[in-house]
Amino acid sequence: MSRINKNVILALLTLTSSAFLLFQLYYYKYYLSAKNGAGLSKSKGSRIGFDSTQWHAVKKFIMLTSSQNVPVFLVDPLILEMINKNFEQNKNTSYGTVSDCKFFCVPRDFTAFALQNHLWKNEEGWFQIAEDMGFQCLKIQSKDPRLDGIDSLSGTEIPLHYICKLATHAIHLVVFHERSGNYLWHGHLRLKGHIDRKFVPFRKLQFGRYPGAFDRPDLQHITIDGLEVQIPKDPVHFLEEIPHSRFIECRYKEARAFFQQYLDDNTVEAMVFRKSAKELLQLAAKTLKKLGVRFWLSSGTCLGWYRQCNIIPYSKDVDLGIFIQDYKSDIITAFQDAGLPLKHKFGKVEDSLELSFQGKDDVKLDIFFFYEETDHMWNGGTQAKTGKKFKYLFPKFTLCWTEFVDMKVHVPCETIDYIEANYGKTWKIPVKTWDWKHSPPNVQPNGIWPISEWDEVIQLY
Amino acid sequence: MDDWKSSPLIKPFGARKKRSWYLTWKYKLTNQRALRRFCQTGAVLFLLVTVIVNIKLILDTRRAISEANEDPEPEQDYDDALGRLEPPRRRGSSPQRVLDVEVYSSRSKVYVAVDGTTVLEDEAREQGRGIHVIVLNQATGHVMAKRVFDTYSPHEDEAMVLFLNMVAPGRVLICTVKDEGSFHLKDTAKALLRSLGSQAGPALGWRDTWAFVGRKGGPVLGEKHSKSPALSSWGDPVLLKTDIPLSSAEEAECHWADTELNRRRRRFCSKVEGYGSVCSCKDPTPIEFSPDPLPDNKVLNVPVAVIAGNRPNYLYRMLRSLLSAQGVSPQMITVFIDGYYEEPMDVVALFGLRGIQHTPISIKNARVSQHYKASLTATFNLFPEAKFAVVLEEDLDIAVDFFSFLSQSIHLLEEDDSLYCISAWNDQGYEHTAEDPALLYRVETMPGLGWVLRKSLYKEELEPKWPTPEKLWDWDMWMRMPEQRRGRECIIPDVSRSYHFGIVGLNMNGYFHEAYFKKHKFNTVPGVQLKNVDSLKKEAYEVEILRLLSEAEILDHSKNPCEDSFLPDTEGHTYVAFIQMEKDDDFTTWTQLAKCLHIWDLDVRGNHRGLWRLFRKKNHFLVVGVPASPYSVKKPPSLTPIFLEPPPKEEGAPGAAEQT
Repeated sequence: MSRINKNVILALLTLTSSAFLLFQLYYYKYYLSAKNGAGLSKSKGSRIGFDSTQWHAVKKFIMLTSSQNVPVFLVDPLILEMINKNFEQNKNTSYGTVSDCKFFCVPRDFTAFALQNHLWKNEEGWFQIAEDMGFQCLKIQSKDPRLDGIDSLSGTEIPLHYICKLATHAIHLVVFHERSGNYLWHGHLRLKGHIDRKFVPFRKLQFGRYPGAFDRPDLQHITIDGLEVQIPKDPVHFLEEIPHSRFIECRYKEARAFFQQYLDDNTVEAMVFRKSAKELLQLAAKTLKKLGVRFWLSSGTCLGWYRQCNIIPYSKDVDLGIFIQDYKSDIITAFQDAGLPLKHKFGKVEDSLELSFQGKDDVKLDIFFFYEETDHMWNGGTQAKTGKKFKYLFPKFTLCWTEFVDMKVHVPCETIDYIEANYGKTWKIPVKTWDWKHSPPNVQPNGIWPISEWDEVIQLY
Repeated sequence: MDDWKSSPLIKPFGARKKRSWYLTWKYKLTNQRALRRFCQTGAVLFLLVTVIVNIKLILDTRRAISEANEDPEPEQDYDDALGRLEPPRRRGSSPQRVLDVEVYSSRSKVYVAVDGTTVLEDEAREQGRGIHVIVLNQATGHVMAKRVFDTYSPHEDEAMVLFLNMVAPGRVLICTVKDEGSFHLKDTAKALLRSLGSQAGPALGWRDTWAFVGRKGGPVLGEKHSKSPALSSWGDPVLLKTDIPLSSAEEAECHWADTELNRRRRRFCSKVEGYGSVCSCKDPTPIEFSPDPLPDNKVLNVPVAVIAGNRPNYLYRMLRSLLSAQGVSPQMITVFIDGYYEEPMDVVALFGLRGIQHTPISIKNARVSQHYKASLTATFNLFPEAKFAVVLEEDLDIAVDFFSFLSQSIHLLEEDDSLYCISAWNDQGYEHTAEDPALLYRVETMPGLGWVLRKSLYKEELEPKWPTPEKLWDWDMWMRMPEQRRGRECIIPDVSRSYHFGIVGLNMNGYFHEAYFKKHKFNTVPGVQLKNVDSLKKEAYEVEILRLLSEAEILDHSKNPCEDSFLPDTEGHTYVAFIQMEKDDDFTTWTQLAKCLHIWDLDVRGNHRGLWRLFRKKNHFLVVGVPASPYSVKKPPSLTPIFLEPPPKEEGAPGAAEQT
């Protein structure tokens, strides 16, 4: 009798405990999925993961922005890439047909959206409503760099980034601002003293480590994971821009100090030269962009940007650099079609290539091709009379965007090293007589072209 | 798990079957010891697992809770910090708290000190004459407004009455006289001072000194007065020392509904005074206007730059009219303030607009000119896609159809290279000389005062050679110079779309304003449809003028043009008069004619190729300068053009004053 009782008790215990366990498992799963998204939810169901935190946060955020007319678009590199892949795989099916939560349910800390500030009409009310909806929001603002170039203006600060957190997922809203030169700019996400550094893992953010510059994207509406969002019309182009988007501002303060010391040249000739140099640079940029060739400001033009944020009026030419691996054979014809005849061509693609085009009003466009070695870069020079070759050495550099005479152009990110290599430590002092064969501290004789090659490597027009 | 699922299946089998199932099971168990043992261990294991899962769940939940708590923590810190700051402030607003003030009045110096801090000190010579008024917040003691009314001069007492009436009840008023404050202090002002409880104020005499502290609508907290003994001397300096009991913050603030707009209003009203009903507790005037949008608004995305100095009351009036104009888009407006002045910035913030301050460089006119340059450059930087910018000044009223006027005409700036600007102001558009709000003119002078600038003109021509600070030039005079204008013309309306109300400016004095600006016509009709806008293009306009001249009736040139009877008492006719004008720059007769027509005569305005257009007695009236104007061909050969003698030299016209 006692044995039976024991068995019955055991069985009952097992039953209750298993019931209990089941309840716990159910609760645990619900809890986990609310926490880590798709982590556990992959097991069953046709609408996989639609209960994930990401998806909820994104959905709420989209509800918020569409009700408040905040024109946001998705810029998250990971999701854009998935969309792009998905798009390539099934070009004919629309995004909406898939019932799985594919894009917004991958467990992540952030989803990145962007916004063009000038299209945004009512900034004020938005923040409050976001907080009422349960978001915890952080706004990062700073002074407006577009006023930096102008003497002593100080305005209301502009918003740069918003980070809105819902439970464990955060939406990073990057605020793009229009800049002169038809591009969009976003600021550096700098945490000021009072900001809680543990609010979100800031290091994992994809935007804001540096200021960035982007082409103004056309947008399109798509529906993914049951949510209607805007994305760049050409996600591939946008994705390509992201890793190379770093932007550096001109040093306006130092430039002002420079002009206080040396005074700006405001003569009519200087103004005329600046105007034609600017037009030549714009034409060159347009032509190279059409060819898809990267270039940067080099030599005197780069010095003018760095030292005085303007074209040096006595420099008499516009200098650009191009990596030799970006060389395209149709560069010359493209420039000629744009109305810039070839003036001379020195060197060859394998060695010391340099092109020079004749612009309007006697302004010359010099293009130097840069060759990469293991520990340095160099470009070549050729003396037409003697066939002597020169080599100009530069420490290795990468390219950054900047704004120069109302254009978005590249400059070496490590500008100071580049300029000091070319002009020495005294680059701050204007020098009007410059001998390109002897003055630069980084010039080296590099032998002489064999006479047999002269016809090819020294072409004067 | 299976047994859990099976039980509902079993139920329909009934009790008998269930019992047999149990018996079999029991039988089996009793017979197979090993199996029984196995089941027992299984059950124990099961229990163990349950316990483990339980513990894990508890741990996890804990972690999640602590994570969720991580964020509010710093906020709590912040609250703590605030809490720590709170006590002194609370003490500050307690009713026991008092401020001690010193008010000094004398011939050459006035000062006011609140709790040992000097809030006003003026001992400059030849400046600051009259009654200085300071308004303090009754709860915090902060200075909310500081004004000086030169009541030695006419009309300043009216401004003082206006100001004092706008101050909210309960505020602390401090008045002190420097030099002389009674000569033009009229009865209305004296009655108001009496109503404030002042004894000496209403009896203020020639060169008396006077210091007063009191609550508006409340008790007088102190007053001192010293009579001047003789016409040629001043009253003795007086120093008034008194205590002001502070009231609680709740008393000093209004109870408006908690909206975004009212938050802005509250911030504004606790800081500054003298803006009247915007801070009224009961019935505050709106600060958002939402005027009707314009259908097909071509200037919706054109940035608007408001150039301002330190005249916050003007700016307030100006922004109200601007934000009430149909088709305005507030996010396109930027107010550029010349200097680090707080109050204009407060006004900008009240309306929720963008404000930019400019550290002053250079002096006087050159300072204004540098401020203009910085503002225009900044405008095109902030709106890089804009092709135009609207430039306004802080002392303008903006017509309700200002943007409608621009929307209908702005395409001309794109299509006609011979245009320099579109301006909302007609220099010659006085009450008696302007008539038709739908009519536009082309003029060779740039009127400014509300105008549209083409970006290409600014970026390519003006900005690079803008006068440098040491040049001390007026920007508008510079823009009117032939080197800049290069023969281009501006479009203006017959009836101005802006009104220049400024008096206390750099280039203005009261008389000047009265004579030249007060009687200016200002359009108040909404949605005016402009006539034949495309006929304003260069060639079409010249053809149109010739047509007008052909059908115009020639006036009797033997009459004196200064006589009223020079123009017949008709309505709706077109008349023409020919005056002598030897060369393009010979304006002798025109200036005399302008003088007797009571229109702008300080320099030449409103001319188009030696021709002026205006209205007289509701008739269109054209004046052609012969022989300089190409329109002289319309003069009958027999007619002798009118010549008017300039007045003898010594009288002269008032100096080289000009418009800003």
